[in-house]
Amino acid sequence: MNLTETPEERTFRAEVQAWMAAHLTGEFAALRGCHGPGEERFDAALAKRWEQELATAGWVGIGWPQAAGGAGLPLGKQIIFHEEYVRAGGPGRLGHIGEQLFAPTLIDFGTPAQQARFLPGIRAGREYWAQGYSEPNAGSDLANVRTRARLDVERGEWVIDGQKVWTSWAQEADWIFVLARTEEGSQRHHGLSLLLVPLHQPGVTVRPIRQMTGGAEFNEVFFDGARTEGSLHLGPVGEGWKVAMALLGYERGVSTLGQQAQFRHELDLVIAAARANGAAQDPVLRQRIADAALRLATLRFHALRVLGAGGASHAAYTAKYAWSNWRRDLGQLAADVLGRAGDVVRADDAARTRLQQVWLSSRADTIYAGTNEIQLNLIAERALGMPREERKGP
Amino acid sequence: MDFTFTEDQIAFRDAVSRFFMTEAAPEQLREVWETGAGRSAALRKKIAEQGLTALSVPEAEGGLGMGDIDWALMTQELGYYAIPDSLADTAYLAPGLLAGLPAGHALRAQWLPRVVDGSCRIAIGHPVNPWVADAHLADLLLMAHPVADGCELHAVPRAKVELTVLPSIDASRRLFEVRWHPDTETRVLDGVAGAPQWAATLDRAALNVGGQAIGLAQRMLDLATDYAAQRKQFGKPIGSFQAIKHHLADVVTEIEFARPVLYRAAAALAAGEPDASVRASHAKLACAAAAWTAARKAIQVHGAMGYTWEVDLQMFMKRAWVLDAAWGDRAFHRARLGAALLDAETLPSIGPGTTFA
Ligand SMILES: Cc1cc2nc3c(=O)[nH]c(=O)nc-3n(C[C@H](O)[C@H](O)[C@H](O)COP(=O)(O)OP(=O)(O)OC[C@H]3O[C@@H](n4cnc5c(N)ncnc54)[C@H](O)[C@@H]3O)c2cc1C
Repeated sequence: MNLTETPEERTFRAEVQAWMAAHLTGEFAALRGCHGPGEERFDAALAKRWEQELATAGWVGIGWPQAAGGAGLPLGKQIIFHEEYVRAGGPGRLGHIGEQLFAPTLIDFGTPAQQARFLPGIRAGREYWAQGYSEPNAGSDLANVRTRARLDVERGEWVIDGQKVWTSWAQEADWIFVLARTEEGSQRHHGLSLLLVPLHQPGVTVRPIRQMTGGAEFNEVFFDGARTEGSLHLGPVGEGWKVAMALLGYERGVSTLGQQAQFRHELDLVIAAARANGAAQDPVLRQRIADAALRLATLRFHALRVLGAGGASHAAYTAKYAWSNWRRDLGQLAADVLGRAGDVVRADDAARTRLQQVWLSSRADTIYAGTNEIQLNLIAERALGMPREERKGP
Repeated sequence: MDFTFTEDQIAFRDAVSRFFMTEAAPEQLREVWETGAGRSAALRKKIAEQGLTALSVPEAEGGLGMGDIDWALMTQELGYYAIPDSLADTAYLAPGLLAGLPAGHALRAQWLPRVVDGSCRIAIGHPVNPWVADAHLADLLLMAHPVADGCELHAVPRAKVELTVLPSIDASRRLFEVRWHPDTETRVLDGVAGAPQWAATLDRAALNVGGQAIGLAQRMLDLATDYAAQRKQFGKPIGSFQAIKHHLADVVTEIEFARPVLYRAAAALAAGEPDASVRASHAKLACAAAAWTAARKAIQVHGAMGYTWEVDLQMFMKRAWVLDAAWGDRAFHRARLGAALLDAETLPSIGPGTTFA
């Protein structure tokens, strides 16, 4: 264990700072603090140009191995990048699902041809991905997916019918990885495949779902005879469950590094607001803020330990549950710090609007990427080996 | 000692509940909120026909002469059906202020009968709130004006105020920044006479918001309980999983422990007990906490569905969240309790040794 920053890491930090200062300017300044699709001021074309700006400088795929076209940066430097990115006001990453969830899974499970085809588009910030897991009847019970795909042997294509739901950012994506039943009559996690499907085609309809925040970040995606090439299954046909779970491992693991930097930034915003409006003088709020800071530091040490050890440990199961509760509590803290002013939406008060977003969006943290209840079941059943609750399941 | 409601009080509450169930269903409310004014004159008229606007007006002025204890029940219905602010402000808080004026005061005769027949709306501007709810439709604004020796009461017609609308997180709210000039024409009570009236209004308002919070909590609990019975995952209703059951059992426990606090505060206010303010603060805190818990657990039980605009849960969650800071946020009411418990010469009856008082 050595937690001091090396001279090389310090130089790297300065490099990221300087790059952000020089590039998050001009037209990109409008993206500062912007989260992503669903926000009124969100400009998709601009966000994509920004991803390309990052890509050109080599900031996309920093954690991928060099052989895959990435920078192969060690964990320490990845963390530094995320910290400085957020500190400089870097916007939500439209390429997140492709770069952080899909690409690592593609590197693990994809054929050389698939990698050669998809990694460069992600690496260049040209192609965007969405995650097609959840369905109306397959939320926590993901193995219940009904979306079907059959192979049209003549044309060598998969033909897909069914519906996905809650698909984040699908309205801006080009491709979607779809967990589909490729074996007729198969049950639960058997006979599923992870198919790579282009979104821009006549058989696919993307319909935004309005959220309680007012914006529409997630969508329904309908497949009605949609097609993709016969070779575009990630991992063996019928073994999509294993691949899908590996991807979830990335979603709950390394990809949270950037998120933690974001959390720190949000906590700083709460602190700044508390100082500005006097809430910092309230003894109860003072203690809650202190508590939030301590818990966040602990989350960070935990993540460093888990990721440093390669991820697959008992401790890894506890990460998602811990950070989602932290952020949910931060949301309430933000609301309490805003106090009576939190009620009113003011376009001219960016700091307040940002905290209101933290507050409302934090209501979803304990739901997406595995609900709290499912995470607790996993901790109890997988990490502790406790008897399973009686239910039909994988 | 009798800590229960009369059969008449319960029957009236049930009638009001049935009325709102048909006349103020979520889809109707959503429609009204989408309009600029955000309020329905037709609905207000029907509410008046039910006698709801007459509740607090003294019988001499044509009202029903009911009081805080009845409102402890009524406000829960207002919350359960997410009825906007102006109803309680007009029918509960304003009559409280007006009925505090000496008998025969011109304002009483002018406004109380109109409250009864539902032909006016009255908005209340109290220093604890930075904004005034529903000021745009108010025929009269009762405004507080803090002065060196207390707090004056002013009756201001809408023509004499300037309003700026402020959009709220809660689509049902209509909040306004109000600019106005106190003058001798608008002044109804001087600072010394006004101060106790405004203090009583704050307590009543805390009770009102507390009651609504409990109603909202109950509604969110009901929505989540229904959803847990219908939604199936892993081949079973999610309500059969212990994790879900325990969430909702926690909510009902918190609600049941807030209700008696609310009722005790209502009794204190009705009887003019000296520690009524402390009890009102206690009630507001307990009820608001129950509403936060209910919101948190209800959305969790709904999964992603609860995070959508379409599903009604969000209407009730947002209302619970914004009311949390209305009429004094948690810090304000906790500070009042703290001061009463720690700084006062004589301990209030809420402290140790008087647990059952
Ligand atoms: C903001 C947001 C973005 C999302 N983005 C995506 C996306 O891009 N792609 C995608 O595929 N999905 C996405 N999702 C969907 C997300 O993965 C699901 O919401 C989640 O898996 C829960 O499923 P559900 O909403 O159907 O809830 P349900 O599974 O119906 O759960 C309802 C409640 O029941 C509980 N429950 C269910 N089963 C059990 C059990 N066995 N024991 C105890 N409790 C149980 C749950 O914990 C929850 O509290 C997103 C969701 C949100 C909120």
